[in-house]
Amino acid sequence: MSNPALQLHLPIELVSEPTLAEFLPGLNAEAVAAIRGTARGGGEPFIFLFGPPESGKSHLLQAACLAATQAGRQAHYIPLGRPGIEPDILESLERLDLVALDDLERIAGVPTWERAVFDLFNRLRERRRALIAAAAAPPDDLALGLADLRSRLHWGPRYRLLPLTEPDSEALLCASARRRGMPLPPEVTRYILTHHPRNPSALLDLVARIDSLSLREQRPPTIPLVRRIMRREDDAWQVGIRPVSQALR
Amino acid sequence: MNPWQDCIQRLKAELTAAEFNTWILPLQARQEGDVLRLLAPNKFVQDWARQHYEKRLLELCLHISQGTITQLRFDVGGLDRPETHARIVSEVHSLGLNERRAEANLNPEFCFSSFVEGKSNQLARAASIQISQNPGVAYNPLFIYGGVGLGKTHLMHAVGNMILETNPNARVVYLHSERFVAEMIRALQHNRIDEFKKTYRSLNALLIDDVQFFAGKERSQEEFFHTFNALFESRQQIVLSSDRFPREVVGLEERLKSRFGWGLTVSIDLPDLETSVAILQSKATQLGVILPEDVGFFVGRRIRSNIRELEGALRRLVANAQFTGRAITVEFAKETLRDMLAAQDKRITIDSIQKTVAEYFKVRTADLLSAKRSRSIARPRQIAMTLAKELTKHSLPEIGSAFGGRDHTTVLHATRKIRELRDSDPALDEDFRNLLRSLSS
Repeated sequence: MSNPALQLHLPIELVSEPTLAEFLPGLNAEAVAAIRGTARGGGEPFIFLFGPPESGKSHLLQAACLAATQAGRQAHYIPLGRPGIEPDILESLERLDLVALDDLERIAGVPTWERAVFDLFNRLRERRRALIAAAAAPPDDLALGLADLRSRLHWGPRYRLLPLTEPDSEALLCASARRRGMPLPPEVTRYILTHHPRNPSALLDLVARIDSLSLREQRPPTIPLVRRIMRREDDAWQVGIRPVSQALR
Repeated sequence: MNPWQDCIQRLKAELTAAEFNTWILPLQARQEGDVLRLLAPNKFVQDWARQHYEKRLLELCLHISQGTITQLRFDVGGLDRPETHARIVSEVHSLGLNERRAEANLNPEFCFSSFVEGKSNQLARAASIQISQNPGVAYNPLFIYGGVGLGKTHLMHAVGNMILETNPNARVVYLHSERFVAEMIRALQHNRIDEFKKTYRSLNALLIDDVQFFAGKERSQEEFFHTFNALFESRQQIVLSSDRFPREVVGLEERLKSRFGWGLTVSIDLPDLETSVAILQSKATQLGVILPEDVGFFVGRRIRSNIRELEGALRRLVANAQFTGRAITVEFAKETLRDMLAAQDKRITIDSIQKTVAEYFKVRTADLLSAKRSRSIARPRQIAMTLAKELTKHSLPEIGSAFGGRDHTTVLHATRKIRELRDSDPALDEDFRNLLRSLSS
């Protein structure tokens, strides 16, 4: 690599903590309110979220766990179907206050996993613990083989997460930059929204990268600086280094 | 901030959010001298956290605690949480009713007063009340079967709750068959099988849900067989549930199937519309909301699959009404439940009804649509038309048209005829209920 600064550019700097406050609700305000209630205790015992990739499901699940922990409760976020993760990870979770299961579609059709999730659901319900589950599609459209599990996934309120509108994307970008003490000039915002993927995690990643480079080089966030970062993202893809948001998926 | 909190804040900056929330957030810490015990919810998390993060966590702890923490120990457990079932059962005498319920795995909300009675569940409810009043005497075992989400679990909890209310010292355990299997395996692994046997064979009432999940698990069936015998012989109450009639459960040993039929076998079917509305209203009251009758009928008519879905729809309505401050009206319900209703419509179609009915009566779908008027074709056709009226939102002319271009008055006649026959002909009523169950599961 020709630029030594790039070598110091550790991905850890790019991660922003997923919080409910940081999530721009857009058309999903009711879902966010329901999740907040469940995370703090006293809300719905079970919520099902669905929506396409990048609609904010993982963010909301992790934010719920964080909010629960901050309220003195115990929570566990589990991205299902990741390499190395086995159904045993669901054992004894009824001792926690909140469990958040992400990517249910990844285990649909796998009998051992379906049984394990079904069993966890029953245990949480018996112990009156909360569960928030998320998937790419509503329960009937997941390739679930276990009718008992499918019917349980209908038990609580179900929310389709809707993508951010154009003004919401702009608001998210500006709010994230402001929180970092780095207001973005309107022309930079316009440039980003025209030239960069507009899903929330891609935008948040980009703001983190702009912030990091801007601090390191002691330069304000300008279009040339943003362009350089975006070009590097392309390069990183070429050599197989993925931005953190993609690495999480 | 304590050293552990400080330590995980530092680690948080080094991991992705997903890694942190999956492996570090669920850990709880307790300092014991210079050892920091990290408690994981289960062995899988314990092993993963130790394997991947022990070295870094120890470095951070050493640094942050300035040498007061020199060792980490990873264990399974939690702070201030009830532990295993065996311990619970052995300490029953010193506990109050609420604790007893919790430890028997019983949900106090599932009681007879919150169970809405209808034609579809009358017998099951009556039998459940009787065995709760006279456990081990009236019917043993009581075997409740029916499709998913129709209230089997509710009745089982209600039995357990009532037994405990009548006799707070009774040893009652409700559990899903999967848990029975898991606990047995754990007992075998930890060389505690005698304790396991003793625990289950000394109960006053054992309530096992979804026994069809015992299928193919020979060792569990063997153990359950002996538990069953011990309880039965000592006249302790056994309540079992399944998604089908005992004889039809595939993968269960004959001797178990035969024992399951020794007592009383009762079914729970899909509730009729009026019962669905009553269920919705009862659940709305529990949620502190008054559900207008027209909304109840609208939701009950559109969501015909099972009670869980009815409850899910109701909870969504209530959440939305509370969030927006709007009144719950039919229009509001249509708007709020749009996705759910669309999914429901997609699932049960006239085509799927015709196919299911044709398969059930072993006729061809084309026959149902044909002009043939022999009894063997006309009756299934009338049943299919009635199901189409009950389970879809199509108009009568649309239904008639889908059955070979018949008039809407033919559909009307069919539905009236089937209603009459269901009252007078138990075999036809049974066929109709079987079809309802199969279409809605």
